[in-house]
Amino acid sequence: MSGESTRMLLSGNHAVAWGARLARPDVIPVYPITPQTPILEKITDFHAAGEVQAEMLTPESEHSAMSACITASISGSRVFTATSSQGLLLMHELLHYAAGARAPIVMFNVNRTVASPWAFWPDQTDSLAQRDTGWVQFYSESAQESIDSVIQAFHIAETIGLPVMISHEAFYVSHAMEPVEVPSQALVDDFLPTYKATHKLDPLIGQSFGSPVDAATYNRTRREMDVAINSTYEAFEAANSTWQQLTGRGYGIIEQYRTDGADVVVVTMGSMCGTARDAVDNLRDQGQAVGLLKVRLFRPFPYRQLREALSGVPCVIVLDRNFSPGMGGILHQELKAALSGMDDMPKIHGLLAGVGGVNVVPEKIEELVKQYTDAEPNIASLWVE
Amino acid sequence: MLEILIQGRGGQGAQTAGNLLARTFFAEGKYVQSFASYGGARRGTPVNSFLRVDDKPIRLRCSIEHPAAILCFDDSLLQGQLLQFASKDTVIVVNSRRDAEHYASLGDYNIIPIDGIGIAQKNNMGRIVNSALLGSFAGVLHQPSIEMLSQVVEESAPVKKQENVAACEEAFHLTQGVHA
Repeated sequence: MSGESTRMLLSGNHAVAWGARLARPDVIPVYPITPQTPILEKITDFHAAGEVQAEMLTPESEHSAMSACITASISGSRVFTATSSQGLLLMHELLHYAAGARAPIVMFNVNRTVASPWAFWPDQTDSLAQRDTGWVQFYSESAQESIDSVIQAFHIAETIGLPVMISHEAFYVSHAMEPVEVPSQALVDDFLPTYKATHKLDPLIGQSFGSPVDAATYNRTRREMDVAINSTYEAFEAANSTWQQLTGRGYGIIEQYRTDGADVVVVTMGSMCGTARDAVDNLRDQGQAVGLLKVRLFRPFPYRQLREALSGVPCVIVLDRNFSPGMGGILHQELKAALSGMDDMPKIHGLLAGVGGVNVVPEKIEELVKQYTDAEPNIASLWVE
Repeated sequence: MLEILIQGRGGQGAQTAGNLLARTFFAEGKYVQSFASYGGARRGTPVNSFLRVDDKPIRLRCSIEHPAAILCFDDSLLQGQLLQFASKDTVIVVNSRRDAEHYASLGDYNIIPIDGIGIAQKNNMGRIVNSALLGSFAGVLHQPSIEMLSQVVEESAPVKKQENVAACEEAFHLTQGVHA
């Protein structure tokens, strides 16, 4: 498909900006924050050159940016925004609102440590703390996956009528330059039809959003959101299979690497998956049957797929680059809940590896696998040095 | 996989040099991954630029702890913090007028001094040394090709394109015969 794409050397963030450009959003409200800012800067460059036709809004805070996203979206516009860390946390109230208003906004989040103390390192606690807001959440490990995921996300969001958030990590993905296949505008136009809102705010149409409701009506909205978010699986498969036909690149809700016959499966999300692949290859070369399971879709949490994939696996080691004080690794806890009650439930170790951006090299993962393969699991997540 | 570390002081051009080197290997059809220290960098403080180069896609997402080659923009940085990355097998090209014997007291390292400022000044580049240092680095490492590097330097230089290319090529040729 080389005629349909151009290979460019891009940072993860610039790949995201290209994805947003190709999806032709109508409105882009956005506020700068390290390490998201290169996304905003690149989109602004495109806009200044007339290559992005969207209306760009630069309000005074992330709270206002998300407010603008919601109103633009429920007015029938295709909307993109991007943020990180404190900016995402400032949006928190409105993330619930966006999902409740069924606004199919696509937002890119660059995973960065949350204050205090102040830092700029990769850590997924910012977006995982938004897991109950009703946004679909994907985690990406590379610039290529990020550009493809942004474009797919519009297809998914507009199909299910819920907002979609994609995250990649600060520094190792956001600021790393690598080769990226950038699809042509014609290819993306074929993939992504113009957005036509089923319901929209329009002075000529007698409809409103967000009116006060009685308890039973509110209850019904949550049941409808439940159905909608669980339709992500089907919407993803449809978007992904078309994307795969057009580009030759496809992804999974979860992805398994060398898990056939594995005695130990490492489970993680985002950039650590790449490093873990090298660790898996090294351990396989040494004769240990180890595989990797990458969780790409975190909301809805794909418990059926995880139960099937991990059935009969003796040992699972979860690597969490996030920390919920008083609970531990968030993926660890969610995975244990998802696998609970299985006849052949694996023993599950939860390791807090790389929290705050601490460097995790393949040799470290290999050492952890060797250390925990035959150990009895601890109920709480453990810190690793 | 080839792993490279470029270190300079904020404002010397180490990050630009890392980007240019990445673009050159990319233009040669290689897989590259380049990233630089960010967030807290300011003029005068040490800045690291990391580069991985391979013939197959690069999956690693972690810092480089043992680079095969180091390009150092300022010999005042040749001390513990930088040398912790190095072993006796690491090729260290340093911007310096001194000769290699001067650095013997640092330990068993393969340090190759290049007079980047001398080459830059000769080519009317003042104290802008990154094109010269990149030329010498390519010469010592035998990659990327000087033709592709010169082309990328020419495309990327905001001003003094011919001077940048001349400094890069002169530094490259000075290193021919130097054994890394």
